Amino acid sequence: MTNQIEIGRLLRAGTTGFIAGCRVNQLNLPSFGALIRVPLGDGYQVYGLIHDIHIDDDGLVKQLVTASNVSDDVLKDNRENRIVPVEMSVLAVGYEQNKKIYHLLPPRPPLSLDVIYLCEANEINQFVSAGRFGYFRHILRAKELPIGELFATHFKQVKAVNKDSKWSKEAVQELMTLLRDDYPTLMSILGALRDIVE
Amino acid sequence: MKIQRTQIGYLIGGGLKENFLVRLTISSQEIQEGAFVVIESGYWNYYGIVTDIRLGSTDDRFADERVDLRFPPDLASALQGQALYANIEVLPNLMLEVGPDEASPEYKTWRGKIDAGLADTPRILPVKNVPPHHSIVSLANEGDIAEIFGKPEEEKNFIIGYTREQNHPVCIDLDKFVQRSSGVFGATGTGKSFLTRLVLAGLMNHNKASVLVLDMHNEYGFDDVASDTKKNVQGLKTMFKSNVRCVGLGAGSTIRGNQVDFNLEVAMDDISTADIETLSRELNLRETTPTTLNALYTSFGDKWFANFKAMNQEEVEVEDEKGRLKKVPHPDSVAAWAMQNGVNVAAAVGLQDKLRRLFNKPYIVQKPAADSVLQIIQSLESGKHVVLSFGEHEQDLDYLLVSNLITRKIRNAWEKKTNEFRSHGKAEPRPLIIVVEEAHKLLNREMASQTTFATIARELRKYYVTLLIVDQRPSQIYDEVMSQLGTRISGWLGDDLDIQAVLSGLSGREALRGMLARLQPKEEVLLLGWGVPMPLPVKSRRYDEAFWKEMGKGKKSKEQNLKELGFGN
Repeated sequence: MTNQIEIGRLLRAGTTGFIAGCRVNQLNLPSFGALIRVPLGDGYQVYGLIHDIHIDDDGLVKQLVTASNVSDDVLKDNRENRIVPVEMSVLAVGYEQNKKIYHLLPPRPPLSLDVIYLCEANEINQFVSAGRFGYFRHILRAKELPIGELFATHFKQVKAVNKDSKWSKEAVQELMTLLRDDYPTLMSILGALRDIVE
Repeated sequence: MKIQRTQIGYLIGGGLKENFLVRLTISSQEIQEGAFVVIESGYWNYYGIVTDIRLGSTDDRFADERVDLRFPPDLASALQGQALYANIEVLPNLMLEVGPDEASPEYKTWRGKIDAGLADTPRILPVKNVPPHHSIVSLANEGDIAEIFGKPEEEKNFIIGYTREQNHPVCIDLDKFVQRSSGVFGATGTGKSFLTRLVLAGLMNHNKASVLVLDMHNEYGFDDVASDTKKNVQGLKTMFKSNVRCVGLGAGSTIRGNQVDFNLEVAMDDISTADIETLSRELNLRETTPTTLNALYTSFGDKWFANFKAMNQEEVEVEDEKGRLKKVPHPDSVAAWAMQNGVNVAAAVGLQDKLRRLFNKPYIVQKPAADSVLQIIQSLESGKHVVLSFGEHEQDLDYLLVSNLITRKIRNAWEKKTNEFRSHGKAEPRPLIIVVEEAHKLLNREMASQTTFATIARELRKYYVTLLIVDQRPSQIYDEVMSQLGTRISGWLGDDLDIQAVLSGLSGREALRGMLARLQPKEEVLLLGWGVPMPLPVKSRRYDEAFWKEMGKGKKSKEQNLKELGFGN
């Protein structure tokens, strides 16, 4: 068993995505665009991509930002022991059942407080190589998201764990096929991808 | 085993009316207009030619922006072929059932059915249906070309050129070629004479028909020097020796210093009044000419030409009843004859003046040393080929008169032989091809109704005589004649009307029109018409030493060789 990296627990969920919460001191681990998984038992787990990380304020923070001379201890205490968690929005991109990965929406969402793990290199490879980029569909459907940046970060992540450039080439081809009639979206994605190409 | 072809794309649309549309999977620069392609679908192959190559984009904005400047090479090249693409249009022509892969078990069943007579033997058909979307499109390989245009090793097939992309040999079926009149066209300087030499050499080598070349510019009989490369070019006489008889017009004529086999002199009695009428434009004859000619013929019969030539235009002085001197026409004058025969004197005198150009021709004689026209006919009948060179008599007048006269006599001879063959079971006449240079002079709208050439072109092979028309202005040729031409081999043509004329009576004219205009000015020709299975542009074969050698040897089939060696039956 490899070292599993826990990054938070589920707050709310729906079929197309869910929101997880974590403590501030866990925040060095999850990142925008990261592929995560939520194991739900019986060989069933849901995969998702983090598309937003946000930190809400509480009453004390509002007071502290207006106060002068706040000591470092107070700041540290407020960050580490705050009651409002850091929230991560996750886009559901697939699931695994009986060791088979599907790039379809999960049949049922994870439950509250289910633990969320960051996918490791081999898990990323397995997920992205299963099928033919079916999960791009879910990303492209989410028009309100910064799709270009999400793809760029995702490509970067895959590139880091998969040295073979074949995947990138095929993925770009697939994006072009899907978006050949959608000039603005394709150009925005290619513009973002340009920045990760060395 | 699956036949290997170079795949170039897949079918994405189109139909029989507006051609097939194919998405290219190779660069648009790797294919040329006119390329011969095969579309494979199930048990069928469809054959066609590329008539258009077009760039396209899924959104105009992809095309407007230089993606190579905006994106790294990997992304830019990925866009090419996806958002930016090239399509080709394919003019479908033929289809052939090829059956399943020979290595597959289904092949045996399929073949078995054909062998047992339960299914038709596959043969090449005109395209009658459309292959489904995404059928694979490839460049035709050597086997495909041989399947459609014939195998080069077969005796009747003559390699006329090579495909432009892959240099596969393309043949014309000479047996079919001689069945109808044909044409070789091309603007001046496009290698028309070389092409004609090639075809003539092929025909003579095949030797199933006799060839009479009306060689106005003395190009075909003897060796010549190419006007552009200044290299020596072998003539037909050198290549086929005694099988080709060179005839010079006029007694004692030589062709560029070469001795001819015999000379042609025209007997005055052979010139008919109809021959003169065909020269109306050339001699600027008036409307009254037919009446005068008719009167001449009535007066003198076949001897009209000699008699008319002998007439003078003098006057003599006679004394009238009052003793005054009066000028009257000389009894041997044109005017005297005209008055006696009720012909307008001015018209008759005018005609004689105009015919003076003919009277002065040295090759028109009262009594030729030999019946050279008969000699020509006999040579042709005995299987020889004749090149009639006009020598120094290169004027249109000479060409029109002599060509018409000879052709008329030859056709009459062949008509007689054909009738004897049909009615009395005599020997079948040997097919004859008359090669007409500068054909528009003889076959223009005005002349066509009067000359024998138009009759020959129209009646096809009824009397075993066909024409091979060589011309640079096909639009000047009477369209009724043009539409009768079986095989058409055309080099580059610039004039729209000429292009239209060459394509008259053919399907897919619009697509072929551009192809003809965009042929390379030299050494590229378009094969068209009834005599070829489908239109195809080819690089014409070189008329060089290798060719002369091959023609000299003659082509024999394997079976023939074996037979001659005493094997086989």
